[in-house]
Amino acid sequence: MGALTDKYCIVGVGETPHLRPSNRTTLSMACEAVRNAMADAGLKPSDIDGMTSYQAADSTTSGHVATALGLRLNYCLDILGGGSSTEALVAHAIGLIEAGYAKTIVCFRSMNGRSGRRMGGQIPGGPIPAVNAEGDNQFNMGWGWTTPAQRFGMSAMRYLRDTGCTTKAFAEIAVAHRYHASLNPKAIHRSPITIDDHQRSRWVVKPFRLLDCCQETDVAAAIIVTSRERAYDLRHPPVFIMGGYARTMTESPQWNYSRPVLHYVAGNYGWKRAFGMAGITHRDVDFISCYDAFTFTTLIQLEANGFCRAGEAGEFVKGGRLQIDHELPSNLSGGHLSEGYTHGVQMVIENVRQLRHRADDACPDWREGKHSYDRSAGCRQLRKAKICCGMAWGWENMGSCLVLRGMAA
Amino acid sequence: MAVTIDYSKLRILPDPDTREWWEAARQHRYLVRQCKRCGHKWFPPNIPACDKCTAMEISWFETAGKGVIHSYVVVVQPIVGAFVSSVPYVVAIIELDDCKEADGTVTRVAGVLTNAEAEVAIGLPCTVLFEETNDPKIVMPRWRISGEADDTWKFSE
Repeated sequence: MGALTDKYCIVGVGETPHLRPSNRTTLSMACEAVRNAMADAGLKPSDIDGMTSYQAADSTTSGHVATALGLRLNYCLDILGGGSSTEALVAHAIGLIEAGYAKTIVCFRSMNGRSGRRMGGQIPGGPIPAVNAEGDNQFNMGWGWTTPAQRFGMSAMRYLRDTGCTTKAFAEIAVAHRYHASLNPKAIHRSPITIDDHQRSRWVVKPFRLLDCCQETDVAAAIIVTSRERAYDLRHPPVFIMGGYARTMTESPQWNYSRPVLHYVAGNYGWKRAFGMAGITHRDVDFISCYDAFTFTTLIQLEANGFCRAGEAGEFVKGGRLQIDHELPSNLSGGHLSEGYTHGVQMVIENVRQLRHRADDACPDWREGKHSYDRSAGCRQLRKAKICCGMAWGWENMGSCLVLRGMAA
Repeated sequence: MAVTIDYSKLRILPDPDTREWWEAARQHRYLVRQCKRCGHKWFPPNIPACDKCTAMEISWFETAGKGVIHSYVVVVQPIVGAFVSSVPYVVAIIELDDCKEADGTVTRVAGVLTNAEAEVAIGLPCTVLFEETNDPKIVMPRWRISGEADDTWKFSE
């Protein structure tokens, strides 16, 4: 186990509702999410002395949020980031506290991901102005290849060819995550779906159908990290950070389609370090979360992080394996595919709530910390939720993960 | 001809790293980047340093514009206005025949295919062609399937 294992904890989480549209600014939403996370932890503004955030030039800054909420920061940093930045910023927070830059750090993401700037193009259905293709975009937008779906689709197509997997495996993931969303009052889409529903849904970009793609929403979310000593005094039992990584591929640190295997991702190079630091094996993991921007990204994260061998994820997910009460429940809030899209944060938040045994589901008694574990009554709290592995991003340029444990583990 | 792109809705803006590439395309030449120090080749050409040896002394390699389809997608829902009237269209990643390096690296490029979805498959050979656009400064390289192959794979719905 690593020297930092269990030394730092996640003590507060909070978010705004997933909406489309929010009719709010990213600053307003960020303030609410951070305030909710402070309330969740039982912390006052004067207790927070560090703040980090990530964005894709589509959000507000730590300075704005801290000013609005009356926080006085010893450390603040806003980065350009994507889907693996949540776990990376949590790891960064550990380093900052360890080095003495701050004592309690909030990491946030705020985005009008539906009504504001959308990734990879223009707004379908709206007026279509001329668009400039500059920088990287000269060599993708120029031939109509811009959206994350179009670009992940290229890796997915090659994956299907290389492994013999079919889109029925994609469907398994859509069905599992939607089932979890059906137990989540906050989720955008709560109607359960079947494999056939997936297979009949319309094409977006082959090999992806509508039900392979995440739900773009307007939302903000925040996570508070502090030391174990401070964590014990707060409102909820701490969730311990056992291990993690945030890194690029060895061969190719940035979008590069000449890399040897188009569907190899950074996780292939990180998980041994994370699991070694945590002192666990895959068998110790009770549930997982993954960056399900697309169904396919779940498959490659399972392989990249060693839950199954390369090329075998399609078989691995069959028969509802990723569903609650099966072998390896995944994305228990419904994830990006069904709950909404926070650019990676909501998985960490859900994992924290599950490890506290406080999943905010439709179960009538959960506010007292009691769960019926009765799925037909709307309960999505896992009975055995001691250790989880949260995996983020399915591309070569950055991957990350966090291994977390609750008090009982 | 399946793809009609409206370049009045999509302005390509060459920059100091890419101006020569677009100029070569106007002359119907297809370039990839090449490192002057180690000879490594890469694409896209806006990357200004060699990812094998870090050299920034870089030049160009003029390819014959022939390769094999490594992967592809079929865009059904357009998201950039210039492509609204083109769907469904195929974008492919192509391995260039004349850019194979001793260590096994093959330079891959991306581009839109002129062929329809029904004809595309991984493993098929294709050739570049150059098309005038309604932007007089931009000639756009496209790719067309130019032969058959034994070992091909096609997406099955």
